[in-house]
Amino acid sequence: MRSNHKWGKVYLAVVFVILYMPIVYLIYYSFNSGGTMHDFEGVTLDWYKEVLHDTRLWIIVLNTITIALLSSAISTILGVMGALAIYYVKSWRMKQILLMLNNVLIVSPDVIIGASFLILFTMIGIQLGFTSVLLSHIAFSVPIVVLMVLPKLQEMSSTLIDAARDLGANQWDVLTKVVLPYITPGIFAGFFMALTYSLDDFAVTFFVTGNGFSTLSVEIYSRARQGISLSINALSALLFLLTIALVIGYYFISQKSAVSGMGGRRR
Amino acid sequence: MKKLTIFFAAVFGAALLLYYVSLALNRTEGYVGKNTLTVYNWGDYIDPALIKKFEKQTGIKVIYQTFDSNEAMMAKIAQGGATFDVAVPSEYAISKMKEDGLLIPLDHSKLPNLKYINPRFLNLSFDPGNRYSVPYFWGTVGIVYNPGMLGGKKITSWNDLWDPDLRNQILLVDGAREVIGMGLNSLHYSLNDTNKEHLKEAKEKLDRLVPNVKAIVGDEIKMLLANEEAAIGVVWSGDAAEIIAENDKLDYVVPKEGSNLWFDNMVIPKTAKNIEGAHKFINFMLDPKNAAQNAEYVGYSTPNKKALDYMPKEITEDKRFYPDFDSIGNLEVYKNLGKRMLAYYNELFLQFKMHRK
Repeated sequence: MRSNHKWGKVYLAVVFVILYMPIVYLIYYSFNSGGTMHDFEGVTLDWYKEVLHDTRLWIIVLNTITIALLSSAISTILGVMGALAIYYVKSWRMKQILLMLNNVLIVSPDVIIGASFLILFTMIGIQLGFTSVLLSHIAFSVPIVVLMVLPKLQEMSSTLIDAARDLGANQWDVLTKVVLPYITPGIFAGFFMALTYSLDDFAVTFFVTGNGFSTLSVEIYSRARQGISLSINALSALLFLLTIALVIGYYFISQKSAVSGMGGRRR
Repeated sequence: MKKLTIFFAAVFGAALLLYYVSLALNRTEGYVGKNTLTVYNWGDYIDPALIKKFEKQTGIKVIYQTFDSNEAMMAKIAQGGATFDVAVPSEYAISKMKEDGLLIPLDHSKLPNLKYINPRFLNLSFDPGNRYSVPYFWGTVGIVYNPGMLGGKKITSWNDLWDPDLRNQILLVDGAREVIGMGLNSLHYSLNDTNKEHLKEAKEKLDRLVPNVKAIVGDEIKMLLANEEAAIGVVWSGDAAEIIAENDKLDYVVPKEGSNLWFDNMVIPKTAKNIEGAHKFINFMLDPKNAAQNAEYVGYSTPNKKALDYMPKEITEDKRFYPDFDSIGNLEVYKNLGKRMLAYYNELFLQFKMHRK
C-alpha cells in the first residue's frame, strides 16, 4: 500500500515535469545572449530590455488587459442573468434545450466562431478593432459563466427562497439578499474563468483584430512568424508570470470568500 | 451583493483607466489620427530603420502589419473592414487581385524614383505598364545544399535530386506551384503548363522522389537547413541567402533546367485611406540608397538598378543571387492559371504529400 503511494507521487512529478518543461525551456533561453534557442552562450537581460522599451507592445498589453477585464465583467453579468433564467424555467424540456444551446457554443471550434464573427462584423459594417474584439470575447465568455454559475444555483436549497418569502422578502430582496450571496463563489469563478479565456484566446481574436489593434497572443504569433528573436521568449516569460499572479490572486480571493461565506452563515 | 457591486465597479473602473492610458499612449506615439500609414508586408521583410527614417522625413506614422501568405493577405483585404495603405503581394496574387478589383491604380507622376528600376523588371505580363504595382524584391527558386554532408558532391540540376544516394536528405518548401513546378522543370516542361498529361507525368516523377524527401515544411526550413538537419532544401533564393548567412558551409544553385522567377511588388489596395502617403512610401522605398539599405538588411535581390551602386560588390557580383539572365536559359514568371487549374495543381500536390514511402 505504502509503495503504491510512492509510485503515485513519482507519476505525478513526471506528469508535471512534462507539462512545465516547454515553458521552463522557453524562459531559460530568454536569458541567452547568443540569440538562438540551441546554444546557451551567456546570461543577459537584453531581451527583457528590448521588450520593456517597446511602446507598441505595451499598448498591446494594455489593450489585452482592458479587453479581458471588460469582456469578463460584462459577460459575467450577462451569464448570471442567463443562469438565473435557465434556473427559473419551469419546463424540464425547455431547460435542457437552453442548456444544450449554451453548451454548443462552448464545444464549437474557436476558428468557426471567429470566422463567423468576421463575416458578421463586416456585413453589418463594424470596423475591426477594439469593439469587434470586445464583442466577440463577451460572446464566447457568456456560456462559460453560465456553466460555472448554474451548478451553484442548483445546489442551493429551494427552502431558502421559501423561507425568505415567508419572512416577507419581495422578488428583489430574494435575488439580492439570498440568491446572489449564495452563488457569489460561482460568480467569481465564472469571472476568472472568462478572464483567463479572454487573456489567452488566439483563434477568435485572430479573425477580428485589425486597423492596428491587436492583442498579445496575436502579436506574439505574428512576431514569431518573423523569425527567431528571443524577445518573444522574454515576452512569453512575462506573460507566464502574469498568469501565475492571476492564479495566485484567484486562489486568495476564493479562500477569503469561502471563509467569509461561512462566517455569514453562522451569524 | 455589496461585495459583488464593489468588485464589479472596481473592475470597470480599472478597465476604463487602462483604456484611457492606452489611448494616451497611442496619442503620444502618434498612432491616432489621419496622419498614419498602414503597411501590410511579409514578416521581417523591411529594415525597421527605414520605417523610422520615413517617419522622420514625412511626419507620417507607420503602422506595420504582417502576413504569412498571399492567400491570407488577399482574404483580409477582400473582406474589408480594416485599413491597409500599402501591401506587398507576389506577382500571381497581383493578377488575381486585379481581376477582383482589389487594387487602386498608381499615379506615376508621384513616383519619380520609378526610373531607377531595371527595365527588365518593368512591364511584365502580370501587370502591363505597371499600372498597379512596383517591384519590391525578386528572386528565384532553387536548391540549397550542404556539400560537406554530401561528401563533396555538387548539385547542379533538378534531376540530381532523384539520386538514390540522397535517401531522406531533402526538405521541400510547402508550396504547390513550387513543388509541382520542380517536377515540370525536371521534365523540361513549362512552369505554367496546363496540359494535364504533362502534369500527371510530373506528379508521377515526383512520387519517385518521395524516398528522398525528409519533410515538407514552412518557414522553419531556414532553421532546419542552417542547423544541418538535412543536406538539401528546395527554397526561394531570399531564404537561401539568409540560410547561407547563418551557416556559410551551405551553397545555393539555380538548377540548369530552369526555374521560377518571382517578384514581390508594392501595391495600393482598395482598403487604402491615405493614398497620398502610400505613394510617398512607395517612392521612398524606390530611392536607390533606401533600396540598397533594405536589400542588405533583407538579403533578397533588389530590382533597383541604381541601388546596386551603393551595395558591396560581394553581394551584387554574387551570381547565385544576381544571376546573368543570359547564362540561365529558362527562368519563368508564374502566370495566373485560373481557379480550376490552380485547384488541379493543389490536388496533385496534396496527392504527392499523401504518397507513402
